[in-house]
This record gives sequence, C-alpha cells and structure tokens, in this order.
Amino acid sequence: MISEEKLKILTESAKYDVSCSSSGSGRRNEGGIGNGYASGCCHSFTPDGRCISLLKILLSNDCLFRCKYCPSRADADVPRTTATPEEICELVIDFYKRNYIEGLFLSSAVHISPDYTMEQLLLTVKKLRTEYKFYGYIHLKGIPHADERLVHEAAKYADRMSYNIELPSEQSLKLLAPQKSKESVLLPMRQLQREKLQFREEKRKGHFLPAGQTTQLIVGASPEPDGQILRLTQSLYRKTGLKRVYYSSYVPVVHDSLLPDIAAGPMREHRLYQADWLLRFYGFDVEEIVEEDGNLSLEYDPKCSWALRHMQLFPVEINTAPLEMLLRVPGIGARSAYKILEARRYTRLTFEDLKRMKIAMKNARHFITAGGKYFGGREAAIKGLLAEKGTGVQMSTFESMAAQSALTGEL
Amino acid sequence: MIYFYDGSKEAFLTAFLLAYPDEDAVLTSGNHQLGLGQRTAFVRADKARAARAEARLLELDKDCMHDLDLLLRSGAEDRDAVAYNYMRMIAAYGAPVRKMLAEDAVIAATESMRRVEFEIHRMHGFLRFLECASGAMYAPISPDNDICDLLVPHFRSRLTGYPFVIHDVRRGKAAVYDGQNTFLAPLEKAEIILSADEAGWQSLWKKYYKSVNLPSRERLRQMRGYMPVRYWKFMPEKSEDASFASAPRQDAPSSPLKCP
Repeated sequence: MISEEKLKILTESAKYDVSCSSSGSGRRNEGGIGNGYASGCCHSFTPDGRCISLLKILLSNDCLFRCKYCPSRADADVPRTTATPEEICELVIDFYKRNYIEGLFLSSAVHISPDYTMEQLLLTVKKLRTEYKFYGYIHLKGIPHADERLVHEAAKYADRMSYNIELPSEQSLKLLAPQKSKESVLLPMRQLQREKLQFREEKRKGHFLPAGQTTQLIVGASPEPDGQILRLTQSLYRKTGLKRVYYSSYVPVVHDSLLPDIAAGPMREHRLYQADWLLRFYGFDVEEIVEEDGNLSLEYDPKCSWALRHMQLFPVEINTAPLEMLLRVPGIGARSAYKILEARRYTRLTFEDLKRMKIAMKNARHFITAGGKYFGGREAAIKGLLAEKGTGVQMSTFESMAAQSALTGEL
Repeated sequence: MIYFYDGSKEAFLTAFLLAYPDEDAVLTSGNHQLGLGQRTAFVRADKARAARAEARLLELDKDCMHDLDLLLRSGAEDRDAVAYNYMRMIAAYGAPVRKMLAEDAVIAATESMRRVEFEIHRMHGFLRFLECASGAMYAPISPDNDICDLLVPHFRSRLTGYPFVIHDVRRGKAAVYDGQNTFLAPLEKAEIILSADEAGWQSLWKKYYKSVNLPSRERLRQMRGYMPVRYWKFMPEKSEDASFASAPRQDAPSSPLKCP
C-alpha cells in the first residue's frame, strides 16, 4: 500500500490539470476488473466544485524542466517523491473495486529524461492492463520530447492521451517553459492522430486511444487574447481532431517576475468554455464569436452577445424555425431545442406551452415569437436586461425580478 | 372512486382496467386524503386481468411497460397519479405519446422517468463498496427511488468474480450478486465483518480527496448541487461532514445545508 504522504505529494502536484472526464470509451471487461462507461461518470465532488472521476496522480514530481508556472519545476524547493508502477496499479485496483474512481489519470514530471519517464508511464499502464487485468478508463499524459515509438506503444493501452500545450503561443512558451517547444507538443499529437486514423482504416483488433486526445491551455498567465486562444482551439478541433480543449484559469502557486501575481478570475474561463461549446455543439465558427485580437464579453455570454450583434435575424418563430436557428437563440440549449422540435409536430406551441415544458424563457423570450406573439422587451431595453451582474459562478440569473420588471414596465 | 393498490405493477394494471371507464378515478398506493362521501375500492393484483391490460397497452406502445416500470419506482408522492395519467393517455390516444412533449401527462411522466434514471446514473458514481473479510463487497444505499436492483447490471459487468450486495437500507431490501446469479431479497439489517485492509484504503481515499481539492477556489454550493448532502452518508470522504450537516446547530439560525 502506498504511503499517505507519497499519495499526498503526487496528488497535490497533479491537481492543477483540469481534465477529469472519463467519457468516450466503451472498452469491455475481458475477464478482469473494470470497463468503459461511454457517457463518463463522476464519483465525487470536491469543495472547489470539481468532479473526481479519475485517480489523478503523478508517477513522479522530480522534474528536470523549469517551467516558470509549475510548482514542481526543477529549482523549486518542494519534497520530491516517485511511486513505483506496482504502487500505482494496486492503488487503482483497490480504489476502483470500492467504486471510488472510474479509472486512472496518470501523468509525471520529466524525471531523469523524457524517454525514461515515458518508459515508466508505459510500463505502468501496460502492467495495469496485462498483469492486473484492468479494463477501466486510463488517461495518460504524454511527455514532450519522448521517443515516438514509446508514444505509439502507450496509445495501445490508454483510452485517452493528452499533451498539454499550456501556453497559447510560441513566444509565451519560450519565455515561461523554455524546455518545451510548440513542436515537442504538436508533433506527437499529430502522430497519434495519424496512427489512430490508420488503425481505424486497417480495422485491426484491440484498441488505439478509443477516447482520443485532449489538451489544456492556461488562461491569464500570458497576454494572449481570447480571440487568439479560440482560433487555436478551433484548429485543434478541426485539424488535429482533438476531443476536448480544457482551459485552466491561472492560479499563482509560484512567484516569478515573469508571471502575474493575481489569479485570473473564474469568469474568463467560464466564457471560454461557453464559446468552446458553441464551436463544438452549436454550429458556430470562431469568426462569428470573437475577433482575433479581441476578448469575450464578460457581461454577456458569447451566444447572447452574438445575438445582440445580429438583431436583424430575430425574433424567430418557435413553431417553424429550423434546428440550426433554434440552437442560436440565447437560452435555448440542445435539450430545449430537441423538446421544441418534437412537441411542435403535435401541436402549435404557445408561450405557455414552452413554460410548462420547463424551457428557460428568461433570455429566450427576447429572441422568439410563439404563434406570432412576442413576449420580450423593446430592443433598446434588452441589452440592459441581459447583462449579467456580479461575478459568481452560476451566471444565468438576473439580479432580481424587480429590476427586470422596472425596465420593461411589466409586472 | 379512489382505487387503492399495493404499488406493484400487476396490481396497478388490474386497477387500471377497473378505473379506466371511470372519469374521476384516482389511483393510489400511499396515503390519500379522503374527501367527504368519496367512494373507495381496494384492488388486489389479478394475474389474468393484469395480463390483459398489459397485452392491450403493448399493442398501442411496445415500450410502455419499460416506462411504467420506471414510473412505479419513483419515490415521489404523486407517483401513482403520474403513472396512471400517462398510461391513460396512451390508451386514449391509441399510440405512443412520449414525444408529445407539450402535454401535461407526458411532461410529468418524462420528468419522473428522468429523475429515476438520473438517480441510477448518480448511484453508479456515488455508491461505495466496503470490502468484507470474506472478499465480498457490500454497499449500503438510501436512494430516493426504488432502484437497487437496476444498479446490478452495471456493477456486475465491471466487478466480474466479486460477489456483492447492494443494500437499500431505506426500503429494507437488497440486490445480491453471488458471483453468478442476481436476486432480490428482503434485508433489514446487515451484519458485516470488514476486511483487514478496508480501513487503510478508506483512509488513503480520504487523503486523496483532501489533496486533490483547490482550497483557493472554494465553491461549496456547486459541490452540493452536483452531489446533494443526502448521498453523503455512505461516502467515506463525506460521511463526517454528513453527520455534521444534519446535526441541528443552535448557534446558526439558518440551516447549515444552505451555503451563502
């Protein structure tokens, strides 16, 4: 059994990685323990509101690299430790068996050399799959500069792999993570994309990254605007075939003259995720969302601010609008759009119907008509109505009903 | 007329057949406030009648028995009315109604089924097994809805070879998987002897839970939204907080469950 102290050190160094999902893999249990859960599964939630799905841990926090933002960087004075592959495997099996976790998220500091570290990671996941017969979810972090054969081999055992870009531009990487380069991260990503396609075409037996690849960008440690970040995101989705891009608003754990001393607020991160969803699920192109050198509005969510810039397209009639247009109405999400689409085949929907169907009308009512009737505010008043106040986490609530009715003059 | 039945599917279908011609029928398996002069009937399950009702309903909607099963598992007070109105609507319309999403009966049924299914999904994550000295796994749960047998297939496929018991302590029943077969049995109180390592793994898990948190970004409200306090009791990382949260506090006027 791994010692509590070791577990603490290796977890605390791993926790700034925000990726936690366990979705996308339908791996079957072939006579051992565990299987995939295609929709993903959260096993607990920590007081910071994040979910625990995977056991997120480093194999070692003893690092060669000196990335400025990282608490485990080589010149930091922190306790160092390295776990053995057996310790990790045992921990995974015993946590999994008790239903604490959905699988393993294994990463590591660059220990001894990139190749050595990648070898140790590979050894651990291979052991877990073949000796411990574990068929649950494994997310493996790739180590930049490691040999491509090791990367290829690791992909046979992991469900998902990820290389963290961390800083959204080459200049920032040079400045803050001098031993990483754009190529050391992007080349293995492209290699894995190529090999996965090849694996699919040849219809070989076994698995090759069934849940694909992801990456993470730190927001607020370097000066790139949202427009630049989202352009990078879109190209990662469309050209590199990534499943997810995670955004991590910068938390200053390390003090350095090159880094800001204040944490980036949660709001910017929240807006980036909203824009990310628009790119993936709502048919938006980044050009529609934000200009290259611009930032997302903190006041309005990205869909709402797009709609406010295109008021000539609204209001849309809920009984006839096509799905693509329904999805562009602020406040109507994928589930509501589906409900409307199904329900209107049987009846002509009224505003009352939408309310009974529990479709959130707070924002949407300004952009739709139901049976030809409009229930929104006058155009000039809408902007004031929709602006989100405060900096809380759940930003969809208006300050108060009284303030709303004062603006529109309704009760 | 008010039709009382025992909550089982068979009795529901029997009562359904009797109640259907009656415009003001109310079906209930729980407590019902009787109005003045209201007539009541106690319906006992009748195999032949239930089979007739089931066959007829299946002709109209081949998936409706799956829906009915979920609806009758709901722990909500209006469970019987929701199920009755939904099945009645299928009978009246003569075809599947599940996509008529602007109809009240369908809205209520969809919502009720969604809650049951969502709790199953939640329990897939929040259920915690304890390892017994015999090597079997034991998980006490106290779900809102009657779902303990529906949790078995998920765990059976991933824990092949580990016998386990999922014990619904609220309803006094348990779903048992003995390594080969699954069955449902009444179980009020279970006496278990934990394995020698169980305490050690629990303590490691608590350490992990503490270490992975980012204290600078506390969002308790969000945590409680995703993982309601009523599920904490059987989760090792939360059980201490659960007893704290449910204990009455004299010093604070507001409930400790509500956070600022």
